[in-house]
Amino acid sequence: MTATPPAAGQATVACPSCGQPVPVGSRFCEGCGAQVVPGDAPPPPPPPPPGSPADQLGSAPISAPTRRPADALPDPAPAQGRRPCPTCGGEVGPDHYCLSCGTKVPSERDHYEETPAPWVAGVCDRGIVHDRNEDAMAVLAAPEPGSRAVLIVLDGVSNSIDSDVASLAGAHAAREMLRMPLPAGMATPESRAAAVTKVFEDTVKAANAAVIATTDPDSPNPASATFVAAVLEGRRLHYANVGDSRGYWLPDEGPGVQLTVDDSMAQAQMAAGVPREVAESSPQAHAITRWLGRDSDDATPRVGAIDVTEDGWVLVCSDGLWNYASEPEALQQQIRAAGTTDPHQLALALVAFAIAQGGHDNITVTLARVGVVQNASETPPAPGEGA
Amino acid sequence: MAQFTAAVYQNEFLPDGGTDVNAIVTISCEGAGTAGQSGSGNAGEIIIVDTSGSMGPATMAAAKDAAQAALAEIVDGTYVAVIAGADRAMLAFPTVSSGPGMVRLDAGTRAQAQAAIDRFVGSGGTAISTWLDLAGQLFASVPEVTQRHALLLTDGENRERPGRLDEAINRATGYFQCDCRGVGTDWQVAEIRRISQALLGTVDIIPGPEQMRAQFQEIMRKSMARGVADAKLRLWTPQGAQVLFVRQVSPTLEDLTDRRVQVNPLTSDYPTGAWSDESRDYHVAIRVAAKAIGQEQLAARVQLALGDDVVTQGLVKAVWSNNSELTAKIDKQVAHYTGQAELAAMIQEGLAAKAAGDEATATTKLGRAVQLAAETGNDEATAKLKKVVDVESETDGTVRLKRTVEKADEMALDTASTKTTRVRKEA
Repeated sequence: MTATPPAAGQATVACPSCGQPVPVGSRFCEGCGAQVVPGDAPPPPPPPPPGSPADQLGSAPISAPTRRPADALPDPAPAQGRRPCPTCGGEVGPDHYCLSCGTKVPSERDHYEETPAPWVAGVCDRGIVHDRNEDAMAVLAAPEPGSRAVLIVLDGVSNSIDSDVASLAGAHAAREMLRMPLPAGMATPESRAAAVTKVFEDTVKAANAAVIATTDPDSPNPASATFVAAVLEGRRLHYANVGDSRGYWLPDEGPGVQLTVDDSMAQAQMAAGVPREVAESSPQAHAITRWLGRDSDDATPRVGAIDVTEDGWVLVCSDGLWNYASEPEALQQQIRAAGTTDPHQLALALVAFAIAQGGHDNITVTLARVGVVQNASETPPAPGEGA
Repeated sequence: MAQFTAAVYQNEFLPDGGTDVNAIVTISCEGAGTAGQSGSGNAGEIIIVDTSGSMGPATMAAAKDAAQAALAEIVDGTYVAVIAGADRAMLAFPTVSSGPGMVRLDAGTRAQAQAAIDRFVGSGGTAISTWLDLAGQLFASVPEVTQRHALLLTDGENRERPGRLDEAINRATGYFQCDCRGVGTDWQVAEIRRISQALLGTVDIIPGPEQMRAQFQEIMRKSMARGVADAKLRLWTPQGAQVLFVRQVSPTLEDLTDRRVQVNPLTSDYPTGAWSDESRDYHVAIRVAAKAIGQEQLAARVQLALGDDVVTQGLVKAVWSNNSELTAKIDKQVAHYTGQAELAAMIQEGLAAKAAGDEATATTKLGRAVQLAAETGNDEATAKLKKVVDVESETDGTVRLKRTVEKADEMALDTASTKTTRVRKEA
């Protein structure tokens, strides 16, 4: 992985591992992948002052009480220290090899997990075939189950330069924009929809700006990434996407739905009547038609919302997962096979499923549980179970 | 302060189910300084000269001259002793019978040592075990000496009951280093090689007395350049892994596998002796449990340790892949040194078979040696083999044993069998 120096003017701290400058608030050093100690990370930023981008809601008036500073979601607590070896549980050395069994343990950038609340979790993993993790995610949640959660996934395009740095920067920029509750607009649904759309558009703009900021202006192959975000507030689920990373609503009972519509050649073919299996397995299926990055023509997100009435799962993921289970029914089958209501365990199980299928791409799984959560301490089911 | 660096040459890709990892680790030292002058303790040198009755007047005169030349290379401040070896070992210098058996070299003591060498007289037999034991006692009598090196010259076969020499070698192993030279053709290469290999030194033949001076000078100059006293090759392997072998493969071939000293259950040390500004290559072969395609694991950390300080490290890795283009490749360095190890074995086994009168085996083995020497570009081995066999085809390894062979040529081939050549390394 190539380190990209932070953009000029950005406040930095020194990476505790390699000493490279790291933007304030970063969880990982983009140079060496080491975790930046929590003490160096500033507390979650205060709510944006009036007039800041997050508060620019255009013509849509704001319902003030929903945007109190206290409603800002905090960042999930970073994991303490280096994770033990996943193979033998031994201590892991600074060069990422287990000191006992020698297993190569992924760097923090190659595999990271976030659990901001017991009902919301995400796992972002390099997979097997790619040599670095160009996916990125950011998840936020309020402690009260079912209250408010934000799931963000960006998939860096693998043939562009430094897209692993770009995707992480984009995810973090988007997280800042969605930290506050969505605006309610005026009393009408149309007004609320317009206000929410504006927030998502600004979020994508901020993520896009962050992606571009990481790109060398002279780069012949600028970093680019997809974008998908879902915001659950009570039983109302809002979502937005650019590219082919997806949001799903997967109830425990009854049919699930793919919420987002891909910006991809496969989607274009499906729109023209080609069956999904054929379209998604065609050689051009993964060519995306819209993305974030310097060479993007149009990064306006498609935005939508539904009310979720049953218990189930909000899943926001990259194609590293849905390549192996595209239909909502196929994903529900994997969820049932995992047999857990703990989002962290389920995210690990779905990543393990994708790895067992070949792990041809980076895999990101973020989940919010709607309904009962039983946080299990038992180990996730074996990879590929029920596949 | 000496600087060490390590470089690893290997193909880390293993096929599905593959378990054996081979790597060449090059360790280089710069800024070693001078023996005994770098603050890591004092250096001690013992010159051991065979003064048995078999040393003829010309050889004895040359041996005295060579010992003087070696003494001249030793820097002031080094602790020195001189042993005259025959049926028993005689302490020629310093002339003491108790207390410290070595003295620091200065203008005065140097003159005394020179005079002692000049008084050498040849008489009696050859009992090398007594020479080694006396050297060990002399080193032990001066505790401030931490870097211990001896130079041993002999001209004849050891005349002791079997086993005595090996016991003495065992007592000296790990305590002092010893370079050995045999003059003439009446000594046994295998016998003297046992000493030099165990005592981390070199062995060679000095065919005529006139070459002795230059050889002694060179040995002592090299020893004085070893400013790093006692380094160990430290090898970490993961839980459940098996060390198949650890070999020094350059500048000479030495199997270190059995010299393992356990540090902890996963880590072992192998003694490497003192270092000058030089670079040595090690071949490690590790067997690990196979992992799934795409997984990576560390098969070994190869380190150089001075005392408890690790001064450099190379990582030997294993990555399982189903890409046969990646897994089928054998690293050039590994292939080269595997060939050189086989070359040494073929020369030694071929000469042993020849000595035992088994001409068929000797022809086959020396033929294979000719082939390997050509393949690995070991010109010295090729030249020395050609003095022992007539080569019909280098590529096929077909040879005929020469009817008349100089004994010295055979011995030179034997002593040179463990000298290896390097592969030219790409930048």
